[in-house]
Amino acid sequence: MNETMNNDIIRHASAMAGKASFIADDFAQALFPRTDVSFNDRMRSNARQYLRATIGQIEQRICRIATDEMGVSHETLAKIGQGSGGQSFRLLENSGLLKTTEIVQHLFVKAQQGELAARLLQKISQQDLEATLTRHLDHADPVVAEAAMGLLVAQSKSTGAAGEISASLADLPAEIAFALAWPVTAALARLSGLPGSQLQQATERMLAAHDESASVARKSDRLARLLEQTAETGDAIPHPMKDGLSLFIARLARRSGLTSDQIIGFTAEPNMVRFVVAIRAADFPTQDALSVFAALDGDDHILTAATYGETDQDRCLALVSSWAAPGAYQNAERILADDSLGDQGK
Amino acid sequence: MTTAGKLADPVRGKVDADGILLSADPRLMRLHLRSGGAEGGPLAVPELAELCRLSRRLGMNLSRPAQASDDECRIDMWVETRLAAADKDQQLELEIMDWKERPHEEPDQMDPARARDFDRLEGRGVIRTDAALRIIARQMPGDAAQASDAIGQSLLDIYDVIPPSGHTRLIEAVAERQPVRNQRVREKSGSQQLYLLQGQPLIDKVGVFAGYRFSATPESPETGDQAGKPVASKLISDSLFGFQLGPALRQPLGKIIANAETISSKLEGPLRGDYASYAKDIASAGRHLLELVNDLSDLEAIERPEFTVAADDIDLVDLAHRAAGLLAVKASDHQIRIDLPKEGETLPARGEFRRSLQILVNLIGNAIRYSPDGSVIKLRVSKDQEFARISVSDQGDGIAPEDQDRIFQKFERLGRSGDGGSGLGLFISRRLAGAMGGSLTVASAAGKGSTFTLALPNPE
Repeated sequence: MNETMNNDIIRHASAMAGKASFIADDFAQALFPRTDVSFNDRMRSNARQYLRATIGQIEQRICRIATDEMGVSHETLAKIGQGSGGQSFRLLENSGLLKTTEIVQHLFVKAQQGELAARLLQKISQQDLEATLTRHLDHADPVVAEAAMGLLVAQSKSTGAAGEISASLADLPAEIAFALAWPVTAALARLSGLPGSQLQQATERMLAAHDESASVARKSDRLARLLEQTAETGDAIPHPMKDGLSLFIARLARRSGLTSDQIIGFTAEPNMVRFVVAIRAADFPTQDALSVFAALDGDDHILTAATYGETDQDRCLALVSSWAAPGAYQNAERILADDSLGDQGK
Repeated sequence: MTTAGKLADPVRGKVDADGILLSADPRLMRLHLRSGGAEGGPLAVPELAELCRLSRRLGMNLSRPAQASDDECRIDMWVETRLAAADKDQQLELEIMDWKERPHEEPDQMDPARARDFDRLEGRGVIRTDAALRIIARQMPGDAAQASDAIGQSLLDIYDVIPPSGHTRLIEAVAERQPVRNQRVREKSGSQQLYLLQGQPLIDKVGVFAGYRFSATPESPETGDQAGKPVASKLISDSLFGFQLGPALRQPLGKIIANAETISSKLEGPLRGDYASYAKDIASAGRHLLELVNDLSDLEAIERPEFTVAADDIDLVDLAHRAAGLLAVKASDHQIRIDLPKEGETLPARGEFRRSLQILVNLIGNAIRYSPDGSVIKLRVSKDQEFARISVSDQGDGIAPEDQDRIFQKFERLGRSGDGGSGLGLFISRRLAGAMGGSLTVASAAGKGSTFTLALPNPE
């Protein structure tokens, strides 16, 4: 062993010692998961890459505003602004600052959306999938046609390589952009040694310029609302192979009163049971429901007409309605139910 | 449904750092006012106000769907917030696209227009207030149009609360958002008319108390009943049945029906299936009795020599839609479709609004009762030089020629029983049509359905 290698080993060993107390936590989470959702290696890898790329884009944008627009002269910031040498992710990943429920939930949704897109591409070609977006460009209602064009443009900007989640600052919901931007700003202040106020100003400018309306999710939501309000298209049952994934999710969300994130989350659960309940509540005819299920399923599960038909629609409606309640209420209700169970057990 | 429609036509508004609505396009201002807001006050549309707060807190422009609701419609919007250059204290611009209004669809909540029709049919007035008991709409019996002088004033400024129920009781009920029952009030100015108020609290989409909807039944000062009705109704109330027995029977019957329906729909909890079925039978029998009471009350009135009706300018197409709306649930229970004249059409005629509606409700109700499930009832209008006509055709068994005169006779059921009819409806309808200067006729053949035609004079 040469001296360099010795030094590396010593550095790694020290780092490992610092993290050793968390091993039990990590292993416990893997051993005793609290949900039935399983996260495969591809999802983990995609989520990590997505987070790294998103944070890279945020720090690059902040640095560029600081150097180009505000005239801050700093070598590290200039370097990051030019797209090289991003450091924030490394600093933030071990800090716990990225582990907020809001951010992790977003990562999960993006990772699962990537899974769905990959599953869909096993059943329909990328070319055919992209063609679905042009369907509404000639819509009789110019508002719908304009919204369809908006979605087409947003999709074309953000589509990444097949099987990867495209990370785009423009596609971030406002709350997530906000939740990520400030830790990144703090990390940049630490890395550059600059006083925080200048970087804060740059971040405020970046956030103020963020145009949520340009994101694929919002474009899909808006088009979905317009289509569902239009008699000629509102009656057509949504299908991922006819609408494309994001518009399909948005249309189902619109019909069920749930959010797009909830619908995507349902597809990660075993047998997509909550997804089936959602489409039953949204009154999907049996054949459409089976076809939609097959298009999105990734584990060769089969939904039979008998199972779907015998699922009580009224109970599905009641369940979906309860899932559409505010998250804070659902959490509180669950905790109170747990407490009362505990009381009974005493 | 109405829609903003054009691409470059968003609805705009400006909100300051304290949430005050500084300016707004008319559509947004109307929604703001209907939501309980005031000019120069905080933006009162909850979802929009929440979006403004979030936009300011994040210092970011948002683009989100939003829903608002007033007592008449639900509004779907796509809202974009625009902050002035990263300055959280500056004005925030709201840009609302895709403004779409649609009537409420809740099956258990009656369409306000339909509720108004029921009230008018029963000779009641309607007062709608906001959460502070300020009147925002008022339509009283006998008024040709909505009385606009009271709009914006407090209910207690327009009406005196009189014993036996007291001022405090009303205020307590309002404070607790409880229904107001049998509250007697007197108009402070003008005719000093007495009314009996029944009020239901209104709760909006986000669960916030939004005011009251009162129905106001006119009463006479001497006897506490019915004096405020128009001439024809007054005559009805002067009779023994209409004046004394009718009201005395209606109230307990109403309670029996309401309670039986509550039990049968299991609103208070689970119930054995056969018990729910008994409760349904009780409600059904109660409704039958109530209809009989109404018919007898009318019968007594129209047989009086001085019976007259008002001569209003009415539109038979509008009446057809209203009558069909009142019976929509009954028709849908039997999968019967009511085919109506197009909504844009009009056919003016001269007759009393309430009585003409009563006749049409009777004709369509009979058609539903005697038509096979899944059939179609057609309403058609026509006119000649003297009369405007509306016909109701069903696909039932039809009426043999020898029976066609008999069905207009008192208590004539053509041997039928147990179907909820009293045998008075057509007799009363024909007398009413005659009193309005018109006629009610039937054309039918056994096995080929029946067509009843109401003819009323053309407007002068």
